[in-house]
Amino acid sequence: MSLRISVLLLLCSLSAFAEQRFPPPDFVETNHQLPATAAPAARGLYYQYLDVAVLGASLGVATWLVLGRRSRRGVVALSMFSVAYFGFYRKGCVCGIGSLQDVALALGDSGYAVPVGVLAFFVLPLAFALFAGRTFCAGVCPHGALQDLVLLKPVKVPSWLEHGLSVLPFVYLGAGVLFAATGSAFIVCEYDPFIPVFRMSGRALMVLAGAGLLVLGVFVGRPYCRFLCPYGALLKLAGSVAKWRLRVTPDHCTQCRLCEASCPFGAMRQPESGKPEEAVLAKARRRLAWLLILLPLLAGAGGWLGGRFSGPASQLHPTVSLAERFVRAGDTPPKTGVPTPDDLALERARQNPKELLAEAAAVGHKFRLGGWPFGAWVGLVIGAKLVSLSLRRRRTDYEPDRGACLSCARCLEYCPNELMRRGASQTSAGYRATSQVT
Amino acid sequence: MSDRSTSLTGQFSNPGAIPRRQFLRDGARAAALTGLGGLLGLAAGRSTRAGTVWQIDPQKCIRCGNCATHCVLEQSAVKCVHAYAICGYCQLCTGFFEPAPNDLNTGAENCLCPTAAIKRAFVEDPYYEYTIDEGLCIGCAKCVEGCNRFGNGSLFLQVRHDRCLNCNECAISKVCAGDAFRRVPSEHPYLLKTMSH
Amino acid sequence: MNNRNRTITRRVFLRRSASGAGWLALGGVSLAGAAQRNANPFAYDLERVSKTDPKLVRYEQAGRFVCPWPGPRRLAVGPEDHLYIAARKGVTVLDGEGRRLQEIALAAPARCVAVAADGTVYAGLRDHVEVFDPKGRRLAAWESPGRKVWLTGLAVADKDVFVADAGNRVVLDYGVSGKLAGRIGEKNKERNIPGLIVPSPYLDVKMGPDGLLRVNNPGRHLVEVYTANGDLESSWGKATAAIEGFCGCCNPVGLAVLPDGRYVTCEKGLPRVKIYSAQGVFESVVAGPESFPENARAGALQDASDGLLGGLDAAVDSQGRIYVLDLVAADVRMMRAKA
Repeated sequence: MSLRISVLLLLCSLSAFAEQRFPPPDFVETNHQLPATAAPAARGLYYQYLDVAVLGASLGVATWLVLGRRSRRGVVALSMFSVAYFGFYRKGCVCGIGSLQDVALALGDSGYAVPVGVLAFFVLPLAFALFAGRTFCAGVCPHGALQDLVLLKPVKVPSWLEHGLSVLPFVYLGAGVLFAATGSAFIVCEYDPFIPVFRMSGRALMVLAGAGLLVLGVFVGRPYCRFLCPYGALLKLAGSVAKWRLRVTPDHCTQCRLCEASCPFGAMRQPESGKPEEAVLAKARRRLAWLLILLPLLAGAGGWLGGRFSGPASQLHPTVSLAERFVRAGDTPPKTGVPTPDDLALERARQNPKELLAEAAAVGHKFRLGGWPFGAWVGLVIGAKLVSLSLRRRRTDYEPDRGACLSCARCLEYCPNELMRRGASQTSAGYRATSQVT
Repeated sequence: MSDRSTSLTGQFSNPGAIPRRQFLRDGARAAALTGLGGLLGLAAGRSTRAGTVWQIDPQKCIRCGNCATHCVLEQSAVKCVHAYAICGYCQLCTGFFEPAPNDLNTGAENCLCPTAAIKRAFVEDPYYEYTIDEGLCIGCAKCVEGCNRFGNGSLFLQVRHDRCLNCNECAISKVCAGDAFRRVPSEHPYLLKTMSH
Repeated sequence: MNNRNRTITRRVFLRRSASGAGWLALGGVSLAGAAQRNANPFAYDLERVSKTDPKLVRYEQAGRFVCPWPGPRRLAVGPEDHLYIAARKGVTVLDGEGRRLQEIALAAPARCVAVAADGTVYAGLRDHVEVFDPKGRRLAAWESPGRKVWLTGLAVADKDVFVADAGNRVVLDYGVSGKLAGRIGEKNKERNIPGLIVPSPYLDVKMGPDGLLRVNNPGRHLVEVYTANGDLESSWGKATAAIEGFCGCCNPVGLAVLPDGRYVTCEKGLPRVKIYSAQGVFESVVAGPESFPENARAGALQDASDGLLGGLDAAVDSQGRIYVLDLVAADVRMMRAKA
């Protein structure tokens, strides 16, 4: 890309010494003046900075609302603001989800420079997540906010399905990074189902997918966030090592399990019901050991598969697919009749085949480099998921999983101790009596 | 219930366990922060303060017509633009009229533009000025093809930035048959044809 | 219990068939979208006018050779039927088979060329004319006629050299010494001259066997006949994409005159070379758009250093053979009348 730009610049600079164009006619009778070609300006740079400022402020407000004020109503209000500003006003672009592709492209292509605003959209939510958990998902991300606002009748997803599908965001993340870094496509943007909702136009397939996900989201909590969002995978990793976590109960957990029932995203984790027997523990440790051995094997197998995948995957890059068509077309003469865009592209390829084939080879090389790490990543993720299912967690209270918790603050509306703290509980007298006993 | 809670806390109040996990967590967070910082540094070293927007290079455009059909907006943000200084101001403009018009008037069967976005105004004999109504133009490049085929090539396509949403990855750029799309700084968002080329 | 089973299965069946139909519809929609995506619904269609009736073609190609220097623009035939090609690096002289005889290098691209009967070569650069003797030595460099000069055609008579200045839309009359003697073709109401309309740099001037000048008026789709004094004798031409007229917005772009006074015209856009009678009636086709596939799409694939690459030029030798210069393919074809 940079080579092409420099060649073009060189040509332009050469032609600067070359000709002026043929002059237009003189309008001697009317002395008509030639109008200037209009050039409406792009969105001002300060607007980009404004978006970043609004993002930062929203993240701060979300963190304060969830960890400080502990108010679900506040999160809902922020969600509505985010849907209005980041969603319908900014049409959902640039968003944190898509920005990870820009960063990937910047790492994979030395000619591409990430705009500072886009970089901020990538870094800020992650930085906040490292300290306060996934407050970005709470009410700032317009996609999540939209799904959250339509969630009316939550249905619990069976845990085997939930664990199985939770691997998908990581696979999507790997694929998104691979295709973005090689400059092929921004698949996360292309297959984002909510952008057509915000733009109120789009490809038929994606509009249907968006509508379908929203309808699904009425019953299944935040399907895109939990099972697809690649940035969510990063946020999950960041959130799992967060400094401050959302604690449901303000003092001690009465084990009433109301928070677990209220969480529509299955993010609430149970405390340990007691140390298991030695025999069970030993079997579990053996299983864990096997899984830990399996992990690198899975990664290796995945890497090998990823290597095989790189060939067909590179077809997604337009240069590679054009080069493929050019090679396949061989010497067949151009079709007669009105040319289609594909015919025109092939004709262009025939003008300069060497450059095209060299570029396609370079892209293929990038895919070979990136294919096996992607495959290894997928294997690693599957293995890590299996390992994590076999780990024993020491918990005394019902608390949200730091990585999976989307900080929606619904649980806070149900915890009786929390309600008592707020003084809003109707049965506070009864609970106060119980706690007095202890 | 209260008994359970105290027994649980009693059993697991091993002071050694919690700090270790916390230590691991803090370490992972520090590593993640370093990683993010490194990423920032790498990318920022090559980052640009300016935003970038998408634009068509008129020297590479081959008028495939995909601009009209592939923009994410219903009416494409790509419009035909006129470089008046290059125009010949012809009476029979091949960007305005069909290749074989019945008559040189604005009858629909004589005009090329599917939405009648190009307007013809008399200047002086035999010169006519042609302007584009961007509200009607769909960016199909039919007039551009006619102008470039027979005429001086003063009509060309450009992405209009009062309409373009500036998607992260332009949907048209992926299917552009001439590979004419590229990112340009948002301060100078146009690649216009000029008198010195 | 059987009844209950049947009601449940019917409901299940309906639900399943509805979702199945939904999936099928989705698949159909996306497939249809994918199939349609390939064609351009707004394609510019020249199919109707770009086919030449083979019965009208009365010439056949007898030879073809590539121009030695890139960027050729005009072609002239000198004494001894040698070809003079004005190109980017200068003027090359070739024989009828394309063998290089001589090269005259110039500092700037040569845009037009004409040869006198004694072999003196007049080469038109963009803003002035240079004169060379038959051996290629420079004799003179004439002054530039002024501003906005863009020379695109040259014709030599006994005592006059006519220079077609497309930039100022005028044909200049120079004596052989290089002194400007007159201006031809400018708009003049008293003399009933409508004026040359030249939207693109393709103004050509040729001398006829009757001593009258032939000048193309591309903006008006006419060929005009002038005396050396600048009187407009006659004009002919029709603006139509059909075979008997001049297509596009500004055609013809090149002229040549056969020894019997008939015209050879060249057009761009739909590249074709045709023969008209001495009165301007269409007679036959020398070569149609099918013979110039690259040239036909010249507007589509432009060179970044020069906006306009298209067009043809023609020259006639003493035996009536027509040489056609293709500016895009940079080659010369020799066309001979069919038996």
